[in-house]
Amino acid sequence: MNREEILSKVKEAFVSVLEHDNFQLANETTADDVDGWESITHMMIITEVEKTFNIKFKLMDLMNMNNVGDLLNTIESEL
Amino acid sequence: MEFVKKLQESIEKHADHNVLCISNTLYTYKDFAVEVSKIRKAIVDTTVVSDKLIGLVTNDDLQTYASIIALWLEGKAYVPVNPDTPVERNTKIFELTETKYVIDSSKASVYNDHNVIASHSIPETEINLEPKTISGDQLAYILFTSGTTGLPKGVPITFDNVAGLVDAIEAEPEFNLVPSDRCLQMFELTFDFSVVTYLFPLLAGSCMYTIPKGAIKYFYVFKLINEQKLTVLTMVPSIINYLRPYFPEINAPDVRYCSFGGGALHSDIAKEWSNCLPNCKIFNYYGPTEFTVYSGFYPYHKDTHQKAHNGIIAIGVPQKNTLYLVVDENNQEVPVGVTGELCLGGPQITPGYWKNEERNAQSFFTRNENGKEVRYYKTGDLCFKDSAGDYLYVGRADFQVKIRGYRVELAEIEFHAKSKSDKKVNMVALDIINNLGNAELGLVIESEEFDTTKIFEHMKAKMPSYMIPMHVRFVKEFPHSINGKINRKELKTYFDIN
Repeated sequence: MNREEILSKVKEAFVSVLEHDNFQLANETTADDVDGWESITHMMIITEVEKTFNIKFKLMDLMNMNNVGDLLNTIESEL
Repeated sequence: MEFVKKLQESIEKHADHNVLCISNTLYTYKDFAVEVSKIRKAIVDTTVVSDKLIGLVTNDDLQTYASIIALWLEGKAYVPVNPDTPVERNTKIFELTETKYVIDSSKASVYNDHNVIASHSIPETEINLEPKTISGDQLAYILFTSGTTGLPKGVPITFDNVAGLVDAIEAEPEFNLVPSDRCLQMFELTFDFSVVTYLFPLLAGSCMYTIPKGAIKYFYVFKLINEQKLTVLTMVPSIINYLRPYFPEINAPDVRYCSFGGGALHSDIAKEWSNCLPNCKIFNYYGPTEFTVYSGFYPYHKDTHQKAHNGIIAIGVPQKNTLYLVVDENNQEVPVGVTGELCLGGPQITPGYWKNEERNAQSFFTRNENGKEVRYYKTGDLCFKDSAGDYLYVGRADFQVKIRGYRVELAEIEFHAKSKSDKKVNMVALDIINNLGNAELGLVIESEEFDTTKIFEHMKAKMPSYMIPMHVRFVKEFPHSINGKINRKELKTYFDIN
Protein backbone atom coordinates (compact mmCIF):
# COMPACT_ATOMS: atom_id res chain seq x y z
CA MET A 1 0.00 0.00 0.00
CA ASN A 2 1.51 3.35 -0.96
CA ARG A 3 1.37 6.46 1.16
CA GLU A 4 -1.46 7.97 -0.85
CA GLU A 5 -3.63 4.92 -0.34
CA ILE A 6 -2.83 4.94 3.36
CA LEU A 7 -3.74 8.62 3.57
CA SER A 8 -7.04 8.06 1.83
CA LYS A 9 -7.98 5.26 4.25
CA VAL A 10 -6.88 7.41 7.19
CA LYS A 11 -9.11 10.19 5.95
CA GLU A 12 -12.05 7.75 5.86
CA ALA A 13 -11.35 6.91 9.52
CA PHE A 14 -11.34 10.63 10.43
CA VAL A 15 -14.62 11.21 8.59
CA SER A 16 -16.33 8.29 10.27
CA VAL A 17 -15.30 9.46 13.76
CA LEU A 18 -15.70 13.22 13.30
CA GLU A 19 -18.92 12.84 11.27
CA HIS A 20 -17.86 15.57 8.80
CA ASP A 21 -15.35 15.87 5.94
CA ASN A 22 -14.64 19.55 6.08
CA PHE A 23 -10.85 19.21 6.33
CA GLN A 24 -7.66 18.35 4.41
CA LEU A 25 -5.06 15.98 5.76
CA ALA A 26 -1.38 16.55 5.00
CA ASN A 27 1.82 15.52 6.79
CA GLU A 28 1.95 18.66 8.88
CA THR A 29 -1.76 18.68 9.82
CA THR A 30 -2.32 18.64 13.61
CA ALA A 31 -5.36 18.46 15.87
CA ASP A 32 -5.50 22.27 15.86
CA ASP A 33 -6.32 22.27 12.13
CA VAL A 34 -9.31 19.94 12.16
CA ASP A 35 -12.64 20.77 13.75
CA GLY A 36 -13.52 18.19 16.40
CA TRP A 37 -10.11 16.49 16.50
CA GLU A 38 -9.17 16.55 20.18
CA SER A 39 -8.15 14.12 22.91
CA ILE A 40 -11.28 12.02 22.91
CA THR A 41 -11.88 11.81 19.17
CA HIS A 42 -8.17 11.12 18.70
CA MET A 43 -8.58 7.93 20.72
CA MET A 44 -11.54 6.93 18.56
CA ILE A 45 -9.62 7.72 15.36
CA ILE A 46 -6.70 5.58 16.55
CA THR A 47 -9.06 2.66 17.23
CA GLU A 48 -10.67 3.14 13.81
CA VAL A 49 -7.28 3.24 12.05
CA GLU A 50 -6.16 0.11 13.89
CA LYS A 51 -9.31 -1.68 12.69
CA THR A 52 -8.93 -0.45 9.09
CA PHE A 53 -5.32 -1.59 8.72
CA ASN A 54 -5.61 -4.52 11.10
CA ILE A 55 -2.63 -3.28 13.12
CA LYS A 56 -2.04 -2.47 16.78
CA PHE A 57 -0.11 0.67 17.67
CA LYS A 58 2.41 0.72 20.48
CA LEU A 59 1.91 3.22 23.27
CA MET A 60 5.46 4.49 22.72
CA ASP A 61 4.59 5.40 19.11
CA LEU A 62 1.29 7.00 20.05
CA MET A 63 2.98 9.04 22.75
CA ASN A 64 5.20 10.80 20.22
CA MET A 65 2.68 11.22 17.44
CA ASN A 66 2.33 14.94 16.78
CA ASN A 67 0.80 15.23 13.33
CA VAL A 68 -0.72 13.28 10.46
CA GLY A 69 2.76 12.61 9.00
CA ASP A 70 3.77 10.81 12.23
CA LEU A 71 0.58 8.78 12.03
CA LEU A 72 1.25 7.76 8.43
CA ASN A 73 4.88 6.84 9.23
CA THR A 74 3.77 4.64 12.10
CA ILE A 75 1.16 2.92 9.95
CA GLU A 76 3.77 2.32 7.24
CA SER A 77 6.16 0.80 9.75
CA GLU A 78 3.42 -1.54 11.03
CA LEU A 79 2.29 -2.78 7.60
CA MET B 1 -6.07 32.05 57.49
CA GLU B 2 -3.75 29.21 58.41
CA PHE B 3 -3.54 27.43 55.07
CA VAL B 4 -2.68 30.67 53.23
CA LYS B 5 0.08 31.28 55.77
CA LYS B 6 1.30 27.74 55.14
CA LEU B 7 1.38 28.43 51.42
CA GLN B 8 3.61 31.42 52.05
CA GLU B 9 5.92 29.35 54.25
CA SER B 10 6.15 26.54 51.72
CA ILE B 11 6.89 28.86 48.79
CA GLU B 12 9.63 30.59 50.79
CA LYS B 13 11.09 27.40 52.23
CA HIS B 14 11.31 25.56 48.89
CA ALA B 15 12.71 28.47 46.85
CA ASP B 16 15.23 26.31 44.96
CA HIS B 17 12.78 23.45 44.30
CA ASN B 18 10.77 23.16 41.11
CA VAL B 19 7.12 24.16 41.37
CA LEU B 20 5.81 23.61 37.86
CA CYS B 21 6.78 21.87 34.66
CA ILE B 22 4.85 23.36 31.75
CA SER B 23 5.55 22.17 28.18
CA ASN B 24 8.97 20.86 29.26
CA THR B 25 9.98 24.11 30.98
CA LEU B 26 10.71 23.93 34.70
CA TYR B 27 10.00 26.82 37.08
CA THR B 28 11.24 27.11 40.67
CA TYR B 29 9.37 28.24 43.75
CA LYS B 30 11.55 31.34 43.58
CA ASP B 31 10.25 32.07 40.05
CA PHE B 32 6.78 31.46 41.41
CA ALA B 33 7.28 33.86 44.33
CA VAL B 34 8.41 36.55 41.88
CA GLU B 35 5.30 36.11 39.70
CA VAL B 36 2.94 35.97 42.69
CA SER B 37 4.42 39.21 44.06
CA LYS B 38 4.19 41.01 40.71
CA ILE B 39 0.61 40.01 40.11
CA ARG B 40 -0.28 40.80 43.71
CA LYS B 41 1.10 44.30 43.32
CA ALA B 42 -0.90 44.77 40.12
CA ILE B 43 -4.05 43.59 41.91
CA VAL B 44 -3.47 46.04 44.76
CA ASP B 45 -2.71 48.89 42.35
CA THR B 46 -5.65 48.21 40.06
CA THR B 47 -8.58 47.00 42.15
CA VAL B 48 -10.21 48.39 45.26
CA VAL B 49 -10.47 46.43 48.48
CA SER B 50 -14.21 45.87 48.05
CA ASP B 51 -13.69 44.08 44.71
CA LYS B 52 -13.52 40.57 46.03
CA LEU B 53 -14.27 38.51 42.92
CA ILE B 54 -11.64 38.65 40.22
CA GLY B 55 -11.87 36.88 36.88
CA LEU B 56 -9.04 34.56 35.85
CA VAL B 57 -8.43 33.26 32.33
CA THR B 58 -7.06 29.76 32.85
CA ASN B 59 -4.10 29.52 30.53
CA ASP B 60 -1.51 26.81 31.03
CA ASP B 61 1.29 29.02 32.36
CA LEU B 62 3.13 30.16 35.49
CA GLN B 63 1.20 33.45 35.68
CA THR B 64 -2.17 31.75 35.89
CA TYR B 65 -1.16 29.59 38.87
CA ALA B 66 0.60 32.55 40.50
CA SER B 67 -2.59 34.61 40.10
CA ILE B 68 -4.57 32.24 42.32
CA ILE B 69 -2.06 32.58 45.14
CA ALA B 70 -1.73 36.35 44.62
CA LEU B 71 -5.50 36.70 44.96
CA TRP B 72 -5.60 34.55 48.08
CA LEU B 73 -2.82 36.55 49.76
CA GLU B 74 -5.06 39.57 49.19
CA GLY B 75 -8.15 37.76 50.50
CA LYS B 76 -9.81 37.74 47.08
CA ALA B 77 -11.54 34.99 45.11
CA TYR B 78 -10.79 33.79 41.60
CA VAL B 79 -13.57 33.30 39.09
CA PRO B 80 -11.92 31.06 36.50
CA VAL B 81 -12.95 30.93 32.84
CA ASN B 82 -11.52 28.57 30.26
CA PRO B 83 -10.08 30.36 27.20
CA ASP B 84 -11.40 27.52 24.99
CA THR B 85 -14.98 28.01 26.16
CA PRO B 86 -17.19 30.36 24.10
CA VAL B 87 -16.49 33.92 25.21
CA GLU B 88 -20.23 34.52 25.49
CA ARG B 89 -20.54 31.92 28.24
CA ASN B 90 -17.49 33.29 30.05
CA THR B 91 -18.80 36.84 29.86
CA LYS B 92 -22.08 35.57 31.29
CA ILE B 93 -20.15 34.18 34.25
CA PHE B 94 -18.52 37.56 34.86
CA GLU B 95 -21.92 39.21 34.55
CA LEU B 96 -23.49 36.83 37.07
CA THR B 97 -20.68 37.43 39.57
CA GLU B 98 -20.42 41.17 38.77
CA THR B 99 -16.74 40.64 38.10
CA LYS B 100 -15.15 43.85 36.85
CA TYR B 101 -11.49 42.81 36.78
CA VAL B 102 -9.99 39.95 34.82
CA ILE B 103 -6.45 38.61 35.17
CA ASP B 104 -5.45 37.37 31.73
CA SER B 105 -2.03 36.10 30.65
CA SER B 106 -3.13 35.73 27.01
CA LYS B 107 -1.16 37.71 24.42
CA ALA B 108 -4.31 39.57 23.46
CA SER B 109 -7.26 39.53 25.82
CA VAL B 110 -10.82 39.18 24.53
CA TYR B 111 -12.23 40.71 27.73
CA ASN B 112 -11.77 44.31 26.77
CA ASP B 113 -15.14 45.25 28.23
CA HIS B 114 -13.55 44.50 31.60
CA ASN B 115 -10.50 45.89 33.36
CA VAL B 116 -7.83 43.46 32.25
CA ILE B 117 -4.72 42.82 34.33
CA ALA B 118 -2.29 41.54 31.70
CA SER B 119 -0.28 39.23 33.93
CA HIS B 120 2.48 38.43 31.41
CA SER B 121 3.81 41.99 31.34
CA ILE B 122 3.93 43.30 34.90
CA PRO B 123 7.17 44.97 36.00
CA GLU B 124 9.44 43.38 38.60
CA THR B 125 8.72 44.16 42.21
CA GLU B 126 9.88 43.11 45.67
CA ILE B 127 8.81 39.68 46.85
CA ASN B 128 5.90 39.93 49.24
CA LEU B 129 4.08 36.77 50.25
CA GLU B 130 2.77 37.94 53.61
CA PRO B 131 -0.98 37.21 53.58
CA LYS B 132 -3.51 39.82 54.60
CA THR B 133 -5.89 39.05 57.42
CA ILE B 134 -8.67 37.05 55.82
CA SER B 135 -12.02 36.28 57.33
CA GLY B 136 -13.09 32.66 56.86
CA ASP B 137 -16.44 33.50 55.27
CA GLN B 138 -14.78 35.38 52.40
CA LEU B 139 -14.78 33.56 49.09
CA ALA B 140 -11.68 31.75 47.77
CA TYR B 141 -13.18 30.80 44.38
CA ILE B 142 -16.42 30.37 42.45
CA LEU B 143 -16.74 27.58 39.93
CA PHE B 144 -19.54 27.27 37.41
CA THR B 145 -21.05 23.95 36.50
CA SER B 146 -23.68 22.98 33.98
CA GLY B 147 -27.18 24.22 34.92
CA THR B 148 -30.63 23.02 33.84
CA THR B 149 -31.96 26.30 32.48
CA GLY B 150 -29.23 27.02 29.98
CA LEU B 151 -27.44 29.21 32.52
CA PRO B 152 -24.35 27.89 34.27
CA LYS B 153 -24.68 27.39 38.03
CA GLY B 154 -22.17 29.06 40.38
CA VAL B 155 -20.68 27.27 43.37
CA PRO B 156 -18.92 29.69 45.75
CA ILE B 157 -16.29 28.22 48.08
CA THR B 158 -15.05 30.14 51.12
CA PHE B 159 -11.61 30.25 52.72
CA ASP B 160 -13.10 28.28 55.64
CA ASN B 161 -14.28 25.63 53.16
CA VAL B 162 -10.76 25.27 51.72
CA ALA B 163 -9.29 25.28 55.25
CA GLY B 164 -11.64 22.39 56.07
CA LEU B 165 -10.34 20.45 53.06
CA VAL B 166 -6.69 21.08 53.98
CA ASP B 167 -7.36 20.10 57.59
CA ALA B 168 -9.03 16.84 56.56
CA ILE B 169 -6.31 15.80 54.10
CA GLU B 170 -3.53 16.67 56.56
CA ALA B 171 -5.24 14.47 59.14
CA GLU B 172 -5.04 11.50 56.75
CA PRO B 173 -1.95 9.43 57.66
CA GLU B 174 -2.04 7.44 54.40
CA PHE B 175 -1.42 10.46 52.16
CA ASN B 176 1.65 12.67 52.64
CA LEU B 177 3.28 14.60 49.83
CA VAL B 178 7.00 15.43 50.11
CA PRO B 179 9.11 18.06 48.28
CA SER B 180 10.64 15.43 45.98
CA ASP B 181 7.21 14.38 44.65
CA ARG B 182 6.39 14.95 40.99
CA CYS B 183 2.64 15.35 40.67
CA LEU B 184 0.32 15.20 37.69
CA GLN B 185 -1.85 18.33 37.29
CA MET B 186 -4.00 17.41 34.32
CA PHE B 187 -7.09 19.43 35.16
CA GLU B 188 -8.40 22.60 33.68
CA LEU B 189 -8.54 25.21 36.47
CA THR B 190 -12.28 25.70 35.95
CA PHE B 191 -12.74 22.09 37.10
CA ASP B 192 -12.92 21.74 40.90
CA PHE B 193 -10.66 18.68 40.98
CA SER B 194 -7.78 21.02 40.02
CA VAL B 195 -7.90 22.57 43.51
CA VAL B 196 -6.38 19.45 45.08
CA THR B 197 -3.86 19.00 42.26
CA TYR B 198 -2.31 22.45 42.74
CA LEU B 199 -2.99 23.14 46.41
CA PHE B 200 -1.44 20.01 47.95
CA PRO B 201 1.77 20.06 45.86
CA LEU B 202 2.21 23.77 46.71
CA LEU B 203 1.74 23.13 50.43
CA ALA B 204 4.32 20.32 50.32
CA GLY B 205 6.88 22.01 48.07
CA SER B 206 6.36 19.36 45.33
CA CYS B 207 6.43 19.91 41.58
CA MET B 208 3.36 19.85 39.31
CA TYR B 209 3.39 18.69 35.70
CA THR B 210 0.68 20.12 33.49
CA ILE B 211 -0.81 18.97 30.18
CA PRO B 212 -0.31 21.54 27.38
CA LYS B 213 -3.52 22.72 25.73
CA GLY B 214 -3.98 20.89 22.45
CA ALA B 215 -2.01 17.81 23.54
CA ILE B 216 -3.73 14.44 23.34
CA LYS B 217 -4.06 14.23 27.09
CA TYR B 218 -4.26 10.44 27.45
CA PHE B 219 -0.91 9.94 25.76
CA TYR B 220 0.63 13.02 27.33
CA VAL B 221 -0.22 11.67 30.79
CA PHE B 222 1.60 8.47 29.90
CA LYS B 223 4.52 10.44 28.45
CA LEU B 224 4.86 12.32 31.76
CA ILE B 225 4.64 9.13 33.81
CA ASN B 226 7.21 7.50 31.58
CA GLU B 227 9.69 10.31 30.95
CA GLN B 228 9.35 12.50 34.04
CA LYS B 229 8.84 9.57 36.44
CA LEU B 230 5.80 11.08 38.11
CA THR B 231 5.20 9.90 41.68
CA VAL B 232 1.68 11.19 42.34
CA LEU B 233 -1.27 10.86 39.97
CA THR B 234 -4.69 12.41 40.39
CA MET B 235 -7.11 11.58 37.63
CA VAL B 236 -10.65 10.89 36.51
CA PRO B 237 -11.39 7.25 35.68
CA SER B 238 -11.97 8.02 31.99
CA ILE B 239 -8.20 8.52 31.57
CA ILE B 240 -7.43 4.92 32.37
CA ASN B 241 -10.48 3.72 30.43
CA TYR B 242 -8.89 5.18 27.30
CA LEU B 243 -5.40 3.92 28.18
CA ARG B 244 -6.70 0.44 28.93
CA PRO B 245 -5.80 -1.13 25.55
CA TYR B 246 -2.16 -0.20 26.30
CA PHE B 247 -1.92 -1.37 29.93
CA PRO B 248 0.44 -4.26 29.04
CA GLU B 249 2.98 -1.63 27.95
CA ILE B 250 2.75 0.41 31.17
CA ASN B 251 4.94 -0.27 34.16
CA ALA B 252 5.41 2.72 36.46
CA PRO B 253 7.24 1.72 39.65
CA ASP B 254 7.86 5.36 40.68
CA VAL B 255 4.20 6.18 41.19
CA ARG B 256 3.40 6.03 44.92
CA TYR B 257 -0.09 7.54 45.03
CA CYS B 258 -2.89 7.42 42.50
CA SER B 259 -6.11 9.21 43.44
CA PHE B 260 -9.31 8.88 41.44
CA GLY B 261 -12.35 11.08 41.60
CA GLY B 262 -15.01 12.72 39.49
CA GLY B 263 -16.70 9.53 38.35
CA ALA B 264 -17.35 5.89 39.05
CA LEU B 265 -14.23 3.72 39.28
CA HIS B 266 -14.91 0.19 38.06
CA SER B 267 -13.28 -2.73 39.86
CA ASP B 268 -12.11 -4.66 36.80
CA ILE B 269 -10.14 -1.74 35.38
CA ALA B 270 -8.87 -0.66 38.82
CA LYS B 271 -7.33 -4.10 39.24
CA GLU B 272 -5.64 -4.01 35.82
CA TRP B 273 -4.43 -0.45 36.41
CA SER B 274 -3.01 -1.32 39.79
CA ASN B 275 -0.88 -3.98 38.05
CA CYS B 276 0.74 -1.14 36.05
CA LEU B 277 1.68 0.66 39.30
CA PRO B 278 3.43 -1.95 41.44
CA ASN B 279 4.41 0.42 44.30
CA CYS B 280 1.30 2.54 44.46
CA LYS B 281 -1.50 3.22 46.92
CA ILE B 282 -4.81 3.82 45.14
CA PHE B 283 -7.43 6.12 46.63
CA ASN B 284 -10.98 6.22 45.32
CA TYR B 285 -12.10 9.72 46.30
CA TYR B 286 -15.63 10.99 46.38
CA GLY B 287 -16.85 14.56 46.64
CA PRO B 288 -18.88 17.16 44.73
CA THR B 289 -17.86 20.74 43.85
CA GLU B 290 -20.39 21.91 46.46
CA PHE B 291 -18.34 20.24 49.19
CA THR B 292 -14.89 21.57 48.24
CA VAL B 293 -13.59 18.72 46.09
CA TYR B 294 -13.16 15.74 48.42
CA SER B 295 -15.42 14.46 51.18
CA GLY B 296 -13.87 11.02 51.70
CA PHE B 297 -12.21 8.03 50.06
CA TYR B 298 -11.92 4.29 49.90
CA PRO B 299 -8.37 2.86 49.99
CA TYR B 300 -8.46 0.42 47.08
CA HIS B 301 -6.10 -2.53 47.01
CA LYS B 302 -6.37 -5.26 44.40
CA ASP B 303 -5.88 -8.03 46.97
CA THR B 304 -7.13 -6.67 50.28
CA HIS B 305 -9.60 -3.82 49.58
CA GLN B 306 -11.84 -4.43 46.56
CA LYS B 307 -15.25 -3.64 48.01
CA ALA B 308 -17.64 -2.81 45.20
CA HIS B 309 -21.32 -2.66 44.23
CA ASN B 310 -22.38 -3.55 40.67
CA GLY B 311 -18.70 -3.43 39.75
CA ILE B 312 -18.21 0.14 41.07
CA ILE B 313 -15.57 0.55 43.80
CA ALA B 314 -16.84 1.72 47.20
CA ILE B 315 -16.45 5.39 48.12
CA GLY B 316 -15.43 4.45 51.66
CA VAL B 317 -15.96 6.63 54.71
CA PRO B 318 -16.23 10.39 55.27
CA GLN B 319 -13.01 12.25 56.04
CA LYS B 320 -12.30 14.29 59.20
CA ASN B 321 -15.20 16.54 60.33
CA THR B 322 -17.40 15.41 57.40
CA LEU B 323 -20.81 13.84 57.96
CA TYR B 324 -22.50 11.44 55.53
CA LEU B 325 -26.25 10.92 55.71
CA VAL B 326 -28.32 8.72 53.40
CA VAL B 327 -31.92 9.91 53.12
CA ASP B 328 -35.25 9.05 51.49
CA GLU B 329 -37.31 11.52 49.44
CA ASN B 330 -38.48 13.23 52.67
CA ASN B 331 -34.89 13.82 53.83
CA GLN B 332 -35.32 11.15 56.52
CA GLU B 333 -32.34 8.93 57.25
CA VAL B 334 -32.67 5.37 55.90
CA PRO B 335 -31.30 2.26 57.67
CA VAL B 336 -27.95 0.62 56.90
CA GLY B 337 -28.09 -1.31 53.61
CA VAL B 338 -30.96 0.77 52.17
CA THR B 339 -30.27 2.94 49.12
CA GLY B 340 -31.05 6.64 49.34
CA GLU B 341 -29.61 10.01 48.37
CA LEU B 342 -26.23 10.79 49.90
CA CYS B 343 -26.09 14.11 51.79
CA LEU B 344 -22.97 15.80 53.12
CA GLY B 345 -22.49 18.03 56.14
CA GLY B 346 -19.45 19.72 57.69
CA PRO B 347 -17.00 22.60 57.30
CA GLN B 348 -16.48 22.09 53.55
CA ILE B 349 -20.11 22.74 52.54
CA THR B 350 -20.62 25.71 50.18
CA PRO B 351 -22.67 28.64 51.52
CA GLY B 352 -25.06 27.90 48.61
CA TYR B 353 -25.42 28.36 44.86
CA TRP B 354 -24.63 31.85 43.65
CA LYS B 355 -27.82 33.94 43.68
CA ASN B 356 -30.09 30.96 43.20
CA GLU B 357 -32.52 30.77 46.11
CA GLU B 358 -34.82 28.37 44.33
CA ARG B 359 -32.05 25.85 43.74
CA ASN B 360 -30.71 26.33 47.26
CA ALA B 361 -34.10 25.48 48.74
CA GLN B 362 -34.00 22.18 46.83
CA SER B 363 -30.40 21.21 47.41
CA PHE B 364 -29.76 22.07 51.05
CA PHE B 365 -31.60 21.31 54.29
CA THR B 366 -30.87 21.49 57.99
CA ARG B 367 -31.42 18.77 60.52
CA ASN B 368 -31.32 18.79 64.28
CA GLU B 369 -28.62 16.47 65.60
CA ASN B 370 -28.00 16.32 69.36
CA GLY B 371 -29.45 19.79 69.85
CA LYS B 372 -27.39 21.31 67.01
CA GLU B 373 -28.61 22.40 63.57
CA VAL B 374 -26.53 20.66 60.91
CA ARG B 375 -26.74 21.84 57.31
CA TYR B 376 -26.60 19.21 54.57
CA TYR B 377 -26.06 19.28 50.82
CA LYS B 378 -28.03 16.80 48.73
CA THR B 379 -25.57 15.34 46.23
CA GLY B 380 -28.03 13.73 43.81
CA ASP B 381 -25.97 10.54 44.15
CA LEU B 382 -27.66 7.34 45.24
CA CYS B 383 -25.68 5.38 47.82
CA PHE B 384 -26.02 2.97 50.70
CA LYS B 385 -23.96 2.28 53.78
CA ASP B 386 -22.90 -1.30 54.48
CA SER B 387 -22.64 -2.97 57.88
CA ALA B 388 -18.88 -2.24 58.04
CA GLY B 389 -19.59 1.50 57.70
CA ASP B 390 -18.41 1.89 54.10
CA TYR B 391 -20.53 3.81 51.61
CA LEU B 392 -21.22 2.33 48.19
CA TYR B 393 -22.20 4.21 45.08
CA VAL B 394 -25.32 3.11 43.20
CA GLY B 395 -26.00 5.80 40.55
CA ARG B 396 -27.34 9.27 39.83
CA ALA B 397 -30.75 10.32 41.09
CA ASP B 398 -31.45 12.75 38.24
CA PHE B 399 -30.49 13.56 34.68
CA GLN B 400 -27.07 14.83 35.50
CA VAL B 401 -24.31 12.75 33.92
CA LYS B 402 -20.53 12.74 34.01
CA ILE B 403 -18.67 13.26 30.77
CA ARG B 404 -14.91 12.87 31.16
CA GLY B 405 -15.23 13.94 34.78
CA TYR B 406 -17.32 17.02 34.02
CA ARG B 407 -20.84 17.19 35.37
CA VAL B 408 -23.30 17.78 32.62
CA GLU B 409 -27.02 18.48 32.91
CA LEU B 410 -28.62 16.78 29.93
CA ALA B 411 -31.37 19.39 30.15
CA GLU B 412 -28.89 22.16 29.36
CA ILE B 413 -27.81 20.43 26.15
CA GLU B 414 -31.44 19.88 25.16
CA PHE B 415 -32.19 23.52 25.90
CA HIS B 416 -29.48 24.82 23.58
CA ALA B 417 -30.12 22.19 20.90
CA LYS B 418 -33.78 23.15 20.68
CA SER B 419 -33.40 26.90 21.07
CA LYS B 420 -32.04 27.60 17.57
CA SER B 421 -33.70 24.77 15.68
CA ASP B 422 -36.01 25.80 12.82
CA LYS B 423 -37.92 22.60 13.35
CA LYS B 424 -39.72 22.52 16.66
CA VAL B 425 -39.22 18.91 17.43
CA ASN B 426 -38.45 16.87 20.49
CA MET B 427 -34.78 16.37 21.27
CA VAL B 428 -33.26 14.27 23.98
CA ALA B 429 -29.63 14.24 25.10
CA LEU B 430 -28.34 10.93 26.40
CA ASP B 431 -25.20 9.52 27.86
CA ILE B 432 -24.14 6.42 25.98
CA ILE B 433 -21.45 4.09 27.24
CA ASN B 434 -18.86 3.19 24.60
CA ASN B 435 -16.92 -0.06 24.47
CA LEU B 436 -14.21 1.36 26.74
CA GLY B 437 -16.77 2.06 29.44
CA ASN B 438 -16.76 5.84 28.94
CA ALA B 439 -19.84 7.98 28.63
CA GLU B 440 -20.28 9.89 25.37
CA LEU B 441 -23.10 12.27 24.56
CA GLY B 442 -25.75 11.48 22.00
CA LEU B 443 -28.62 13.59 20.73
CA VAL B 444 -31.84 11.97 19.52
CA ILE B 445 -34.19 14.06 17.42
CA GLU B 446 -37.82 13.05 16.93
CA SER B 447 -38.08 13.79 13.23
CA GLU B 448 -37.23 12.75 9.70
CA GLU B 449 -33.58 13.40 9.02
CA PHE B 450 -32.60 17.06 8.49
CA ASP B 451 -29.44 19.15 8.43
CA THR B 452 -28.25 19.87 11.99
CA THR B 453 -25.32 22.15 11.09
CA LYS B 454 -27.01 25.26 12.49
CA ILE B 455 -28.02 23.54 15.71
CA PHE B 456 -24.45 22.37 16.28
CA GLU B 457 -22.97 25.75 15.47
CA HIS B 458 -25.27 27.25 18.06
CA MET B 459 -24.40 24.62 20.67
CA LYS B 460 -20.68 25.15 20.04
CA ALA B 461 -21.13 28.88 20.60
CA LYS B 462 -22.96 28.30 23.86
CA MET B 463 -21.30 25.34 25.54
CA PRO B 464 -17.82 23.95 26.19
CA SER B 465 -16.70 21.17 23.85
CA TYR B 466 -17.28 18.32 26.29
CA MET B 467 -21.00 19.20 26.26
CA ILE B 468 -21.39 18.91 22.49
CA PRO B 469 -23.08 15.61 21.49
CA MET B 470 -20.81 13.39 19.41
CA HIS B 471 -23.56 11.27 17.91
CA VAL B 472 -26.92 12.20 16.37
CA ARG B 473 -29.82 9.91 15.58
CA PHE B 474 -33.23 10.66 14.11
CA VAL B 475 -36.16 8.68 15.39
CA LYS B 476 -39.61 9.11 13.83
CA GLU B 477 -41.44 8.55 17.08
CA PHE B 478 -39.97 8.43 20.57
CA PRO B 479 -40.74 5.35 22.64
CA HIS B 480 -42.57 6.09 25.89
CA SER B 481 -42.79 4.25 29.19
CA ILE B 482 -46.08 3.23 30.78
CA ASN B 483 -46.32 6.45 32.76
CA GLY B 484 -45.97 8.51 29.60
CA LYS B 485 -42.36 9.58 30.04
CA ILE B 486 -39.93 9.39 27.14
CA ASN B 487 -38.19 6.06 27.44
CA ARG B 488 -34.59 7.20 27.55
CA LYS B 489 -33.30 3.73 28.18
CA GLU B 490 -34.79 2.46 24.91
CA LEU B 491 -33.57 5.53 23.03
CA LYS B 492 -30.04 4.64 24.06
CA THR B 493 -30.34 1.40 22.08
CA TYR B 494 -30.50 3.46 18.87
CA PHE B 495 -26.84 4.30 19.34
CA ASP B 496 -24.71 1.45 18.15
CA ILE B 497 -21.40 3.23 18.58
CA ASN B 498 -19.11 0.34 19.36
